[in-house]
Amino acid sequence: MEGKKFKKYKMYLKMVTSSLLRRRSRMIVALLAIIIGATILSGMITVYYDIPRQMGSEMRSYGANLVLIPSGEGMTADDVNEAKKYFPTSGEVVGIAAYRYSTGKINEQPFMVAGTEFDAVKKVSPFWHVTGSYPSASGEILIGQDVAELLHVLTGDIVTLYGNAGDSSIYSADLRISGIVKTGGTEEGFIYMTLSDLEGLIGGTGKIDAAECSIVATASEIDTAAAEIAARVPAVSAYPVKKVTSSEQAVLSKLTSLVLLVTIVVLILTMICVSTTMMAVVAERRREIGLKKAIGASNRNIIVEFLGENIFLGGLGGAFGILFGFLFAQAVSMNVFSRGITFQPLLIPVTLAASVVITVAACLLPVRNAAEVDPAIVLRGE
Amino acid sequence: MFFRMIKGVLIRQRKKMLMIAVTVALGVSLATAVLNVMLDVGDKVNQELKAYGANINVIPRGAFLLNDLYGIDMENGISDKYLDESQIGNIKTIFWSFNIVDFTPYLELSGKANNEKVKIVGTWFNYELKLETGEFRTGMKNLKTWWQVSGAWLEDSDADAVMVGSIYASRNGIKTGDKITLNVADAVREFTVKGVFDSGSSEDEYVYLPLSVVQEMAGLAGKVSRIEVSALTTPDNELALKAAQDIKSLSIKEYETWYCTAYVSSISYQIEEVITDAVAKPIRQIAESEGAILDKTQLLMLLITVLSLAGAAVGITNLVTASVMERSQEIGLLKAVGAKDSAVILLIFTEILITSTVGGIIGYFVGLGFAQIIGQTVFSSAIAIKAMVIPIIAVSVFVITLIGSIPSIKMLLSLKPAEVLHGR
Repeated sequence: MEGKKFKKYKMYLKMVTSSLLRRRSRMIVALLAIIIGATILSGMITVYYDIPRQMGSEMRSYGANLVLIPSGEGMTADDVNEAKKYFPTSGEVVGIAAYRYSTGKINEQPFMVAGTEFDAVKKVSPFWHVTGSYPSASGEILIGQDVAELLHVLTGDIVTLYGNAGDSSIYSADLRISGIVKTGGTEEGFIYMTLSDLEGLIGGTGKIDAAECSIVATASEIDTAAAEIAARVPAVSAYPVKKVTSSEQAVLSKLTSLVLLVTIVVLILTMICVSTTMMAVVAERRREIGLKKAIGASNRNIIVEFLGENIFLGGLGGAFGILFGFLFAQAVSMNVFSRGITFQPLLIPVTLAASVVITVAACLLPVRNAAEVDPAIVLRGE
Repeated sequence: MFFRMIKGVLIRQRKKMLMIAVTVALGVSLATAVLNVMLDVGDKVNQELKAYGANINVIPRGAFLLNDLYGIDMENGISDKYLDESQIGNIKTIFWSFNIVDFTPYLELSGKANNEKVKIVGTWFNYELKLETGEFRTGMKNLKTWWQVSGAWLEDSDADAVMVGSIYASRNGIKTGDKITLNVADAVREFTVKGVFDSGSSEDEYVYLPLSVVQEMAGLAGKVSRIEVSALTTPDNELALKAAQDIKSLSIKEYETWYCTAYVSSISYQIEEVITDAVAKPIRQIAESEGAILDKTQLLMLLITVLSLAGAAVGITNLVTASVMERSQEIGLLKAVGAKDSAVILLIFTEILITSTVGGIIGYFVGLGFAQIIGQTVFSSAIAIKAMVIPIIAVSVFVITLIGSIPSIKMLLSLKPAEVLHGR
């Protein structure tokens, strides 16, 4: 009994494998169709999942989306670091630019002077357009376009800045203009220098008047973080920059739904394409089915045999599809965002299941039709 | 005879031909949908990015935006130079007037509310501007989509109502419906708070009024201190950067290209041309990021399109191969009764081309439907139908079906009629 059963399985396996091997060219056609379908499935879904994250990072070119300012007493770098603990954990912190503000005069004209770290500014405000260069050494300043026009100065000129040092004495410093910044906004009326330079002039080490933070996160995450910071860090009040966060949300949700819809349309059409190809491949095997029935195969036998073949085809095609799909998504991500993509492990079972189901479903209909027909008619040639 | 054979195949092999037609139709509809969406996605996303607000700031020449960043300095934002309100409509007359989505003027003054110093801003909320070309509605409501207003937006006709920022309101305990007294210049008047807004920026500390009310109180009839413009722009390229450095460095031809392209710098330049003594500055934060995001989105859609098209192409090729292969018997018979290879090829090609043309035409219209569904669902507006999609698809379907039939035809030609007819 056991031996007979074993033999039956062996025969079944032999039929399935030899059907795949002998009919190589047709099977390749079918396999190709499945691979394409699975590639599109896994590739598009990976891209779809990664879009919000990738585009979110891209949107950071709009600048800070959370601003920390002192609530009352004054804020130090430590407070900012404390506040940083409550930032959304999921998102990458692009940069935190701390600013210290003071007023100073050049040629009797009053200006706002800001001290900051330029490495952080470059990350938080990538839209700054600097002619010349950012200050790299002590004693160098970056001035806004408006300031430059008002003073009639150019990059490389030396200006004398004076103002109130902390203890009511007057400081005066000769500073070299290393660059002129254009933003189209309020920044053009400012004079920027490094935080340590400004502290050297006005004293008060470690104090910060504002910190601009650029975080990859959704509007609601930023809002939560702001509330959290307000509650937990007494020295700091946090304000989401609504213009940036809510607009980002709006644009991102549009983009995501665009990619989703396109993905769905592409998937439906591809699946139908795969199905029709499979149907065509199966339909031409009516004679074979007729012959099998003539020598005594039951309808069930025939369906089980095709099932085996197609599960194998679907599985193999799906496996290739996962690989190619990931390569495609990776290529898209590298080209568009210059960043790698995260692999979604969940896609492996989904893609495999989808390709097997579609392949099997596509072949069952023509096989059943063929199996229903009287073998004599099929074998006679229609 | 040839046509009779073709007709015969098309009628007798209806099912198989129908299958090819369906596959081609699917492939073509896919291609039509994604191509149309891809070609239009730039405009659509550009429109969406307008949510970020104005990208051009127009100020009087010689005035400086020595504005406060975080409410630290109140004095410097006030300048004594103004733009002429009657010229604002000119913005809609420039070369790229259709790209101007919104604009709104501001008259910013420092005044007193309930005897406390505050910045008072007069502006348009939902203003109906009469132009020679018709009416144009513009103002804060469209420009500041992210503002959350409790109470109601002001109307431009409200003579005794104000809107106040949330920070100002909470600091002074002001709610919607309260009365506040404003001093502007020498005028003193009482207003009702119609709405409290939360903008998430320094504007939350200001008091907003209709432009005409502020002009009247300050005695500055017809004056505005700046204008914010929101325009649809093309991302900057090298030419735009060169122009931004120095317009005089452009050759005449470059200048014309630059002037006739919707770069933010050329639109700014054209605005300066129509408003006396104005400086139009691109707000780089908005203008530059827009460009970056537009480029990324277009590239993304392009790559998705390429994948979909490749999928459609392989799908069609596959089916053509599969359906031609199964006709080995018929071809064998044809060859047995003396058909030449060339005659067989011609026959098969013609059949497939007729079928795929029919499928392609149906698919094109189905694809347009898909594109519109995508446009309506995502952007709530129709996708523009680009005529250039038709030739692209026609040529590619032709080439794809030809390529698709090559391997199968090669196989059919190598068939020995006797073997095939015998049934292998």
